[in-house]
Parts: sequence; C-alpha cells; structure tokens
Amino acid sequence: MSISELVCGDGFRRFEGGRITVSDDTSRPFAVVDPSKLELTVESGVKCRLVILHTQPNEMTARIGLEPDAELSVADIYLASTFAEVDVRQKERSVCRFTTVEMQSANVVYGMSLDGVGASCTSDGVFIGSGDDHCVFELTVRHNVSDCTSSSLVKGVVGGRATGEFRGLVYVAPDAQRTDAQQQSRNIESGNDAHIITKPQLEIYADDVRCSHGATVGQIDDDAVFYMRQRGLSEAEARRLQIEGFVGDITMHCPVESLKEPLTDILKTKLEKL
Amino acid sequence: MKQKDTDIIGDIENREYKYGFTSDIETETIPRGLDENVIRLISRKKGEPDWMLEMRLKAYRHWLTMEMPTWAHLDIPPIDFQDIIYFASPKKPSGITSADDIDPELKRTFDKLGIPLEEQLALSGGVAVDAVMDSVSVKTTFKEVLAEKGIIFCSMSEALRDYPELVRKYLGSVVSYADNFYSALNAAVFSDGSFCYIPKGVRCPMELSTYFRINAAGTGQFERTLIVADEGSYVSYLEGCTAPRRDENQLHAAVVEIVVLRDAEVKYSTVQNWYPGDKDGRGGIYNFVTKRGICYENARLSWTQVETGSAITWKYPSCVLLGDNSAGEFYSVAMTNNFQQADTGTKMIHIGRNTRSRIVSKGISAGRSQNSYRGLVKVAKGADNARNYSQCDSLLIGDKCGAHTFPTIDSRNSSAVLEHEATTSKISEEQLFYCNQRGLSTEDAVGLIVNGYAKEVLNKLPMEFAVEAQKLLSISLEGSVG
Amino acid sequence: MLIIKNLHARVADKEILKGIDLEVRAGEIHAIMGPNGSGKSTLAGVLAGNEKYTVTEGEVTFEGRDLLAVPVEERARMGLFLGFQYPVEIAGVSMANFMKLAVAERRRYLGEEPLTASEFLRLMREKGAIVELDSKLTSRAVNEGFSGGEKKKNEIFQMAMLDPKLAILDETDSGLDIDALRIVATGVTKLHTAENATVVITHYQRLLDYIVPDYVHVLYNGRIIHSGDKSLALKLEKEGYDWLINDYKE
Repeated sequence: MSISELVCGDGFRRFEGGRITVSDDTSRPFAVVDPSKLELTVESGVKCRLVILHTQPNEMTARIGLEPDAELSVADIYLASTFAEVDVRQKERSVCRFTTVEMQSANVVYGMSLDGVGASCTSDGVFIGSGDDHCVFELTVRHNVSDCTSSSLVKGVVGGRATGEFRGLVYVAPDAQRTDAQQQSRNIESGNDAHIITKPQLEIYADDVRCSHGATVGQIDDDAVFYMRQRGLSEAEARRLQIEGFVGDITMHCPVESLKEPLTDILKTKLEKL
Repeated sequence: MKQKDTDIIGDIENREYKYGFTSDIETETIPRGLDENVIRLISRKKGEPDWMLEMRLKAYRHWLTMEMPTWAHLDIPPIDFQDIIYFASPKKPSGITSADDIDPELKRTFDKLGIPLEEQLALSGGVAVDAVMDSVSVKTTFKEVLAEKGIIFCSMSEALRDYPELVRKYLGSVVSYADNFYSALNAAVFSDGSFCYIPKGVRCPMELSTYFRINAAGTGQFERTLIVADEGSYVSYLEGCTAPRRDENQLHAAVVEIVVLRDAEVKYSTVQNWYPGDKDGRGGIYNFVTKRGICYENARLSWTQVETGSAITWKYPSCVLLGDNSAGEFYSVAMTNNFQQADTGTKMIHIGRNTRSRIVSKGISAGRSQNSYRGLVKVAKGADNARNYSQCDSLLIGDKCGAHTFPTIDSRNSSAVLEHEATTSKISEEQLFYCNQRGLSTEDAVGLIVNGYAKEVLNKLPMEFAVEAQKLLSISLEGSVG
Repeated sequence: MLIIKNLHARVADKEILKGIDLEVRAGEIHAIMGPNGSGKSTLAGVLAGNEKYTVTEGEVTFEGRDLLAVPVEERARMGLFLGFQYPVEIAGVSMANFMKLAVAERRRYLGEEPLTASEFLRLMREKGAIVELDSKLTSRAVNEGFSGGEKKKNEIFQMAMLDPKLAILDETDSGLDIDALRIVATGVTKLHTAENATVVITHYQRLLDYIVPDYVHVLYNGRIIHSGDKSLALKLEKEGYDWLINDYKE
C-alpha cells in the first residue's frame, strides 16, 4: 500500500487543512494531504500525532501552537517539490517532535519558537536529492526563555547533479539560561557532480548554556566497508547499505509506526536510483 | 558568590590598557581626507614607480563604487572616510642623517613596548624586527645577517625601491584590490608594511617580526605585508600591534598576502593588542583586515592568532590550497571584553587534490562584548580527497555578552571528508570550586582555566610570543566569572 | 587449502611481515601466538585483503587460486572468513539485512539457490543458538551498542551463517569474561569439520583449552620462529617468550 492510500485509511483521521484545534487525546494520528494552509492548536495537556503528506507541487504555510504540557509528534513527508513554511510556537513544558523526509527538490523552512519555560523540541530530518534536485532544509530554533531543550539531526544524501542545503540556526535569547541545544547536520555526496552546502549556526546571548552543533560531509566509514566486503558484499553494495543505514536511522524514528516500512521502501528505491 | 562575581567583573572592566601611552614624537602628517591627489601625494612621498601609482588609482576608483560590507555580526558606526589622515610619519630630528640612526624618543617608545630596535639587545638567536610607526617603517633589524642567506626582509617602501620586479610580480596576486571594500581602500592608500622573500630551499634562521604601532591622533593605519616563500623554504613570521588610548576610533585596514610556493612552509603568528576602547566602549581601533595565503604543491601555511585588542575586529586569515597535497591551518584565540566586537574566522579553499586543512578556534566573550566565529570550508570539484577538521569553541563569562558561530561547508567533491564541531559553554562552577578548594583565588583560577582552554592554540605560537599571549589573556580576563 | 610462501608486507613505510611460510590443510586447527606487535593482526589483515597493507614479496594460494590477486569480497565468497579483533559498528544497517545479503553472495558463489525468507530465518535461529546469541541482537544495527562479549559472539554467529572453508579468528578471546570465552570457543569447536580449517590468533593459552590446536606457531618480528604442537602453548604460558625470541631480537 502506498503512503497516500495508507493515510486515507482507517488508521488515520483525515482532515483538509485549515484551522483545527485538538482538545482530546487521540490514538489515531491526524493526516492531511497537500494542504496549502494549516493552523493547528494542541490544547493544554493533550497528546497527538500528525502526518502531513505532500504528493504534488504546492506551497504550504503551517502554524502550529502547543499549549502548556501539550505533546505533538509530526511526520512531514515531501514526495513532491513543495515550498513549505512551518512555524511552531511552544508554551510551557510542551513537547514537539518532527520527523521530516524530503524525497526530492523541496524548500522547507522551519521556525521553532520555545516560548514557555521547560518546553522541548526535537527535529530530525532527511533529504535525498538526485538528478537536478535542489533540496533545502532550513531550521531555526529560538530559545526565547530559560530551561528549554532542543535537538536536531538532519541527514542529507545527494547524487547526480543535485544540490542539498542545510541552513540551521540555534538562537538563545538573553536570559534564556540553562538552555540545552544541539544541532547536527550530516551529509553524504554520491557522485562527482553533487553539491552540499551546510551552515549550522549558533547565536547565543546567555551564558549558562550547553549548546553544540556539528556538520559533516563525506564520512563513508572505510572500516565498515571493509568489514562488509569481508563478509562477501561488493564494495558498491557495502556503500549503498551504509547510506541506507545512514538515512534509515531517521525514518526508523518516525513517530507513526505504520509509516516506517513504506518510508524505508521509498528511501531504498530512491537510493538505488541515485 | 554573586556579589563577588560582580566585583571581579567590575575589576577587569576598570583595568588599564598597558600600552595606552602616547609618545611625544614630532609627526609629519598630510591633511585629512581622501581623493586622487592624496593618493598621488602618498605615492610621491614614497618615491614610488609609476605602475604602483597606477595600481593605487585603479584601486581607489574601484573603491568608490563599493560599499562597506554589512554581513558580519558587527554593529559598526558610520565611518567618515574624509575625516581620516591617510599619511603620518615620525619626523627625523635634525642632526640624524644616517638611515640606521633613529630618533631616541622613537627608540624609547619601542623599548617601552618591549621591542628592542638595537640588535645587541635582542635575545640570543633572536627575532628580526621591522618596526612600523603610523604610516612608515622606522627600523628593520638583522638585515645583514639575513642578507647572507639571501633573505630579503625590509619595509614595503624599501622593497618597492630596491626590488620592484619582485614586488610587482606578487603584490595583489593573492588579495586583489577588488576583493573587498577594505582591500580596495588599502590598495589605494597603503603607506608601508613589511616585505619578505625567502629564497629557494632556505630555512630562515630566526623569527621575522613586524611590530605595528599607531601613535599619531586622527590617522588611519593601512599597512601592507607581502611574504613570498620560494620553493622548499621555511619561515616563521610574527606580528604584534598596539596603539595609544584615545577617545576617538581609529581605523586600521591592513592587507597581508602570503605566497607559499612548492614544498615551502610559512607560519604566521599574530598577537593583536590594539587599543580596545574603554569600559564604556569609547574609543578603540577598528581592525578591518584581509589576510590570505596561497599554497602551491606540497606547501603548508599555518595561521595562528591571539586577538585581544581592537574595538571592532573583522578578520578572516585564509588559505587557498591550490596545489596538490597542500595544507592550511588556522588556530585562533579571540577574546572580547566590555563593548568589544569581533567577527573573525577563516576560509579554507580546497582546489588541489589531497589538500588538508584544520581549524581550531577558541572564542572567549566577557562584559557586553559580541564574539563571532565565521568560517568557510569550500571544496572545489577537482579537489579529490580533501580533508578538513574544524573545532570551534566558545566560552562565555557573564550573562551580558554574546558568542556566535557561523560556519559554512560547501562541497562539490564526493571524496571530501569534512567535519565541523562547535560547543558553547561557561566556566564551570565545579572547576572554580575545585581550584578554590586547592587554595587558588578565583582570579587565578579563571586565568588558569582560560589559558587551559586556549592552550591548544597558544602552543602553536613561538615560545616568546606564547608567554606574552598567555599573560595578555590572564591580565585581560583574570577574575572574570560566569 | 592455504599455502603461504615467503610473505612480506608493509603498512605505510614499515615492514611488518618479513617472510612468513605456513601451510594449512583441511581439517586442521592452527594457533598463532606471539607478543604484541609481532605481526599477527597484519597477517590476518593481509590474508583477508585489507588494502591498508601492501604485500611486497611472496605468494599465497587459497583453494588453488592466487589469493593476493582476488579482491576482499571475492575472498570472502570463496570461503575465507576473518573474525575481527574489533568488529565494526554500522549504524542503521540491521544484522538481519546484512546477513541476508552476505549469505546470498556466498550461496551464489557456490552455485546454490537463494534461501527463501523462512529458510533464512530458520538458519538465523539455528546458528544463533550455537553461540547463545540473544535473538534481539539480530534485529539491531550491526554491532551497534553491542557489549564486547556480544560483538565476539556475533562474529562467530556470522561465521556459522557463512560456513567458511577457512576461518581466521583474530584475538577472538580478547575482552571476554570466562563464560563468554567458553561459549565463543565451544561455538568455534562445533563449527570445525574435516572439510574446513581454523586459524586462531591469540595471546593467551586459555583459549586453547577449548579449541585444541593441531599446530602452534610463534610469530615474532614478522617471522614464524618456532612451531610445535599444543604443548608449545602450555610451555609459552609457563615460561613466556624470552627463551625463544632472544636469538631473534633486532
């Protein structure tokens, strides 16, 4: 079953975008396909999950608000080139988790604002570009108050003549003490016409903080390739498997269990064509 | 503890800038302002060849079309470029005729700065110094010793007179006048600086050093340094700078170009201690500097900088790794206090195959200062097997300052392995407590911790400089607690 | 099965192997012992085809083929297995997926039909039992987060899955507690048949209490300086290497 069919099925609560307020816990994830506008509020103490699926070229603006103690997990999946702006505002102790998958050219801009003490957000993502794709993943996390936590891990793989860009920023406002923020950008280029640009940035105005970021390009582990070849895998296979593992790590943490397998399959197919 | 912190921070804010004195030296200056006539005047005063004047005018005309860069994380007040004196030179008192004799007052100034202009006073195995006061080089030591090995070490003015072809071949070849706003300005009005040429296969037997001093009020300093290390040669080069305390801001816009030919190695170390302004942010030097080196096959260029001075620093010593197997390094400690602002880092441009680069940056922010690391690691398409490792750490002392990290990695080659890591933290209370418990004062403990934090970079400095840099860090920061 | 003649090899500019001669026949177990830095792991690496090492002289034939001309994966498919001293962690690649691919390659080389999914799962269970491998580990990423003991068990598990002609076990006993050592060594013994051969590289004789070698060789300074039967290992444990190596010190 394709992802589109899956999210239209009984396991999900379909809606058409627009404005929605979630005021009760629900085990079935919300699902929305190709919205152009989305305003979601998760009420105080409520837990929910959301799948945003992009299947055709589009533009989307999403505003998401988390009231105190709310918990939201989002799978944001780009199967088509989309310009997306996602703005998330979090109040006290709210928890937000994003898993983003960009399967081709897309320009995705996230702005996460931690506005309430004790809020936390995790934004993980993967982008894969082939052919002439241009994938952009922009992520700004604003620690506006004290005692918030954020972490992000974004992985990029580009082949063909594709370009992959990660632009990250962790901003820590004055007095946002005891901030714990991490941002990691990991990338692999496959083939000699691919292009990676990564800019992880830190802008920090408070002193009692633990902030770190990192970025890597390349880093196919030669020891692992040798290990796999020693078990009989060809070098190309060993490299492909490593890249698969590299990005599979993100989809494996997709908050919606039933999406993990179809996402992994799409990734595999895409990587085989890289 | 909190009360004590405040005391200590107050204490460092009030600390005196040790090199803030003014020397009473008669100075010849030209009127304020900049136009083509001023440029012709500078060129004429220096007795330059025509091609040099042409280069200056070309740069000036280009500069007129440019705007001050605003992309840095800096708050730069408007600068009136017509309100600056573009040339100032200490006058020789009557009676001094020989080129080797210098004004005793000038000598006293450099003695006070700890820079002996008399060779017999230099430490054994010593350091050859080119001393630059305001717009001119006043003395270069150990020239004869160096000449025996064929090494040329002199002021830029002398170089233009004595080795015009060599200068013409390389000047502007690494940093073009059109590179940026300040490099254009520098190319138009530069007055002096150092020139250094190490012949093929020669290991320079002593450290070469340029000491820059701004003395005259209202002047800008625009020096130009050119180092050419011919094939298989080696040189270690040091640069130091100070200026008097003044309430006005003074502009320093220098250009340093380094050409590292095949199999050669250059180490360039800077201890930058320009007057940083007072505790309320009045005065201080604007330090807008372009430094870049180009490495040919198997060549190696290593930048080490300890930046503690200047009101505003805008500086990115860079390496163009053009030749196969060439290597670039950048080691930096940048410390800002009070209202100082620094936006500094490096660019590593990998073009040749098997090129390697390494970046270690340690930022320390205190007071109300803003301290940014900005870096670019670029791998061109043909740069197979490029390797870079970057480590950028920031240390915050007090909750009114800022520490920022703006790296960019741009890779077009799939065999590149590039890694950047950065952390931001404050001095840990546990470390302080541990030191206190062993009987160290908080002041000493902070000095110790900061020096430990910066050690990886300080270790890269030549011995004499490392000691000076260590003292500088302790003096400026001793006692500050986050 | 394996014939090594006058093998010399270097890593970077340093010559490590300085003329190794060794023959291993089907059904045999050889132990290679020697002090640190004598070249034991280098020998294992050269035989497996690690490109870190450069062979400068000598020849190696395996199953009648010039082994040195064969790439790493081909050697593995021929049935040469290296048990790593430090098994490599591979993030995001599950053990099951990894083994599925490896077994498929080996079977294809042998001209056997690929296994069906259920046959493969049965094989995993069966072989996992040999080293008492926790079945949960096979759904995890390769070696990632495995304890030292688990990693070594996992090596022997993979050996069981791939059914090699020749297994070279590089310090398989290092970092194991006594229970894990027993399990790993018993596993190796169970896998030993008259058709295959095993070379164990070890520091300690204790492994040889479980895996009884037909021959014990002492490697020192890049050469095999002494060979004997299993009693040699016991003597080495009691008396150390000094009595042997004094004549060979540089």
